[in-house]
Amino acid sequence: MTGLYELVWRVLHALLCLHRTLTYWLRVRFGTWNWIWRRCCRAASAAVLAPLGFTLRKPRAVGRNRRQHRHPRGGPGAAAAHPRLRWRADARSLEKLPVHMGLLITEEEQETSYSDIASLVVWCMAVGISYISVYDHQGIFKRNNSRLMDEILKQQQELLGLDCSKYSTEFANSNDKDEQVLNCQSAVKVLSPEDGKADIVRAAQEFCQLVAQQQKKSTDLDVHMLDSLLSSNGFPDPDVVLKFGPVESTLGFLPWQLRLTEIISLPSHLNIRYEDFFSALRQYAACEQRLGK
Amino acid sequence: MSWIKEGKLSLWERFCANIIKAGPMPKHIAFIMDGNRRYAKKCQVDRKEGHLHGFNKLAETLHWCLNLGIREVTVYAFSIENFKRSKSEVDGLMDMARQKFSLLLEEKCFLNICFAYTSRYEISSAVREMAWGVEQGLLDPSDVSESLLDKCLYTCHSPNPDILIRTSGEVRLSDFLLWQASHSCLVFQPILWPEYVFWNLCEAILQFQMNHSMLQKARDMYTEERKRQQLERDQAAVTEQLLQEGLQASGDAQLRRTRLHKLSARREERVQGFLQALELKRADWLAHLGTASA
Repeated sequence: MTGLYELVWRVLHALLCLHRTLTYWLRVRFGTWNWIWRRCCRAASAAVLAPLGFTLRKPRAVGRNRRQHRHPRGGPGAAAAHPRLRWRADARSLEKLPVHMGLLITEEEQETSYSDIASLVVWCMAVGISYISVYDHQGIFKRNNSRLMDEILKQQQELLGLDCSKYSTEFANSNDKDEQVLNCQSAVKVLSPEDGKADIVRAAQEFCQLVAQQQKKSTDLDVHMLDSLLSSNGFPDPDVVLKFGPVESTLGFLPWQLRLTEIISLPSHLNIRYEDFFSALRQYAACEQRLGK
Repeated sequence: MSWIKEGKLSLWERFCANIIKAGPMPKHIAFIMDGNRRYAKKCQVDRKEGHLHGFNKLAETLHWCLNLGIREVTVYAFSIENFKRSKSEVDGLMDMARQKFSLLLEEKCFLNICFAYTSRYEISSAVREMAWGVEQGLLDPSDVSESLLDKCLYTCHSPNPDILIRTSGEVRLSDFLLWQASHSCLVFQPILWPEYVFWNLCEAILQFQMNHSMLQKARDMYTEERKRQQLERDQAAVTEQLLQEGLQASGDAQLRRTRLHKLSARREERVQGFLQALELKRADWLAHLGTASA
């Protein structure tokens, strides 16, 4: 009997993994076709799972599936002819805009696209998000920090035009001397697990050092003091994290700062479209935080 | 009378449970039981009744977990932030807790109830304990590490949750187990907590099973990296030690190995001494709490 259960489980598991892989692959390769495929899959899944009592999550309000460039350049309407106006208009149409957005990439190194991540960062800047963090749990972006920054600067030029000074970026952990800090509108940080638990431990060690030197008492430490000792002091906590890839976990992303962060999952950052990004922003704008009340 | 409802799963539920149990199973699940008040509003009853339904749903869920072999459950019953609610609601919740939780003491599994809890407070409290250890001369500041912090948290006797489930469709952690759930499978389900059914739990476990190997890999990688960094720090400490003694830093490999071993052995000794003292301190505090409320 155990053998039978195991067999059924393996079949079920294989089907679920196949579904996930196909959805992912199609979404990445065939944007439009994937929309059709996803609709069919939802219908099929609902038909199979409904008798078992499963309910599917309501499909996220994805933007209309216009056959469009990834970047909203051309298209119908006067506003669309001026992408920057469109982005600002989009931002104004939202009830609320995050001050700090995190981009959490859970996909493997060989599946990472620097240009797609750069697009996401630049879209964040374009709609007026002031703080942007990019994270992966293997420290890939940290090790290739300059490559990512180059890609971001390139996309900034491309999408935001030559008038870059208005959208100047401060690369918050760049070691380069040639940071473009003029009218600092957006700060970009590249993070890894070092900035999570390891940073809390470093802050704890720092405080314990002060205690050892009798400059502080152990009872002096509270939430506020620990918060002020962390490297993120001065940077606001992320309001929202867009999580890309198949892993349903934050994989060590800023655990302390994640206290009230909305975690929005998207299937992949590869060939990500502006519409998908904006629909995630709409989802954020619609959520209500009661803060315990 | 057992608070965790006795009773059997239906035949179909048992069949599906057996299928799911053929795959990797979580040992510890954490729940954010969100949606009681929205449920009350939906059913047009008062909030107190919504919370009562929530408690009953908890009993039912624990029964399902026991049937699935999940022996440890952590729930977020009341946050420090919830004190902002009206006095009548807070009092109602406290009364209910007092009544229901005392019945749990005879059960055969672990139920961790986070009450008047926030994760940031827990983490700061753990850091405070380590600082106390330094103050008492039991620890060196360099002994402070992630694994030591783990052992100072309230949850030190439990493994990290394998799954963190939040109901009602909200997609945030709300200051719950921020440290412990950093590599847990997060499952956000749109159903209101009092409406939670066995199939929702199965769905969450299936999700965990789909993520299991990826999460295990990520956790292992993380642990390896932490070990490597600790070794690097120890190497640096030994180098400094040798230099201070006027010896060649990269000279005798055997000497380096001995020194490294001594360094970590001494640290382990200090840590064990500190943890014992901490255990005693907490036991004393609990005893004092017991007599104070008597």
